Amino acid sequence: MKLSSKLVYFITGSKLIVVLLFVLSLPFLVQQIASEYTNYSLREQRKEVISVIQKKGIDYYLQGDDSYGSYTLLKEEYIALEPDTNGQRLDTIKNAQRIIEQDTLNYRVLNYSFKMNGKPYLLEIGKATASINQYNKPLQRIALYVLMGLIAITILIDLVFTRILIRPLGKIIASKLINRKFPFKDHAKPVKTSTDDFKYLDESLIVLMDQINEDFEKEREFTANASHELMTPISILQNKMENMLAEDQLTDELALRIVEMMKTLDRLKKISASLLFISRIENEQFAKTAGVVPREVIAEVIKEISHRLEDKNIKLEVRFSDGIFSFKANYDLIFQLFYNVINNAIKYNKENGSIVISDESDAKGNYKVLIKDTGIGIEQSELGFIFDRFRKTNLTENVGYGLGLSIVKSIAEYHGIKMQVTSVIREGTCFTIVFSK
Amino acid sequence: MKVLIVEDEKLLAAEVETFLKKAFYVCDLAHTIAEATEQIEINTYDFILIDLGLPDGDGLNLLSKAKKYNSEAAYIILTARGNLEDRITGLDLGADDYLAKPFSLLELQSRMQAIARRKFNLNEDLVQLGVFMIDLQKRFVLFNEQQIELSRKEFDLFSYLLLHKNRVLTRMQLSEHIWGTFADDDYDSNYIDAHIKNIRKKLNVWGPTEWLETVRGVGYRIRK
Repeated sequence: MKLSSKLVYFITGSKLIVVLLFVLSLPFLVQQIASEYTNYSLREQRKEVISVIQKKGIDYYLQGDDSYGSYTLLKEEYIALEPDTNGQRLDTIKNAQRIIEQDTLNYRVLNYSFKMNGKPYLLEIGKATASINQYNKPLQRIALYVLMGLIAITILIDLVFTRILIRPLGKIIASKLINRKFPFKDHAKPVKTSTDDFKYLDESLIVLMDQINEDFEKEREFTANASHELMTPISILQNKMENMLAEDQLTDELALRIVEMMKTLDRLKKISASLLFISRIENEQFAKTAGVVPREVIAEVIKEISHRLEDKNIKLEVRFSDGIFSFKANYDLIFQLFYNVINNAIKYNKENGSIVISDESDAKGNYKVLIKDTGIGIEQSELGFIFDRFRKTNLTENVGYGLGLSIVKSIAEYHGIKMQVTSVIREGTCFTIVFSK
Repeated sequence: MKVLIVEDEKLLAAEVETFLKKAFYVCDLAHTIAEATEQIEINTYDFILIDLGLPDGDGLNLLSKAKKYNSEAAYIILTARGNLEDRITGLDLGADDYLAKPFSLLELQSRMQAIARRKFNLNEDLVQLGVFMIDLQKRFVLFNEQQIELSRKEFDLFSYLLLHKNRVLTRMQLSEHIWGTFADDDYDSNYIDAHIKNIRKKLNVWGPTEWLETVRGVGYRIRK
């Protein structure tokens, strides 16, 4: 999963959890607040009544009567003032039922006893509980809406911000990791960012790439020089042996030994030549010309190689589709590529085996050549290494020197050709050569 | 035929000289551009073999200089560099052929002979071999007036053996000549045997081919 997606999921998720908790606790909170507020307003009302009594005397309410009572039209609130008969000093707020005009209603009731002119009085102020909770629902709803809106806005801001924040990371990945064709020819440019972590990452990658490049250059140079330097001594030896073989006094036994020496030298020569060839490809010493047609190259390869089919009585079938694919390439290198792959298909085939060469174009416009043999196959564990230098797979006899497919790999990389291999042991191998559009 | 071998590796130059002398060429050696220039100014050569990496300069410079004094000569570049540009530049500068080191001396002689035929119009095209007559120019074998059909590779093989007559050629040398860089170690040697068998079969219909010998474990030879 991409970092940006992860961040989005995390931010959204954590916010949703917070909202959920809040919404769940909202009814309780609102009720709590309403009840607190009711207590507060009851006390305020009591203070007001007491202050009025103190200012204007108790008769302001009683007006000569023993007691005073008043309630609002819908019986939501009432106030009662009467002589205290209980004798206890009261200052409480509690829920209680009261009967007012035959209606039994639930009230939040404040009781307060006080003395006025030496007489004890009891003040009772009540507020219907139904009226206390009447705002709870709409309050909750509004709170919820406001909250949702706020969350939406913050998520939006977060999204935009994280996107801006991690954009350099995307740039680093795109410029340093994806689409980088090895060897890195030009020095990588640093990505602009004010985030230190990204700067550090970018700089480290650049250093790493430069290091790889340098090592690769050195290795390439070494391979080229070493192979080149080997050629002269090999030349001398080869020519000496050739001359020795033509000596008149040469015995048969010595001649045989010289031939063995020549074979060994030939092996050394081919290894050096192959390494040199690979380093020349990697040094891009082969010019590309337009209009190389893979199927025409294959036809030439078959002409060159067909005599080898007879030895094991191998049947070669070529099935080409309609339409001609051509691309910019070095003809000789492409010839070598197909030659090596088809040669392997023959070399590792069975007696009376077959080879099928076909082509196809996929929906994306890529052109593919498939070379399928009925040979001895390659172990799954070996498949990843068959293009490595000097890695010999499934060789029972001393054929090839492990460089044929390395050459194929270098040629393919030079031309941006993809190689795919599938294989079933003892049944055969299929090389797919993909020419991207 | 007079040959100048310009090669700084003395051991290599000596081997080339030994080989060419045996094939009746007259050889001079030069190990530097300076030495070579001196000899070219005095003598006239039919062939000048030039190594590209010389101690006092690039063989390509020598090539253009030598052409002024010795324009009739055939030039063959011998090099371990073997990159494409050198080859093209060399041929552009008027070299007649180009051999990458390590090369077979047999191949060198074969190229020299081809150049000689082309450039100096040497009329050694018809060769008598037993009861057969071989036309190297038109590439066929004649028995009396009867033309005997050999495949392209068979004739290549046959004419290579003929060029190096009285010398045993190994299967490897033969396959390298036929398939060049595509020769595949021991693998192609079997095909040499198959081709030789075919050549014998085709010719034996008309007459004996005892001159084409098999040298056990080594290779083949045409005795003449």
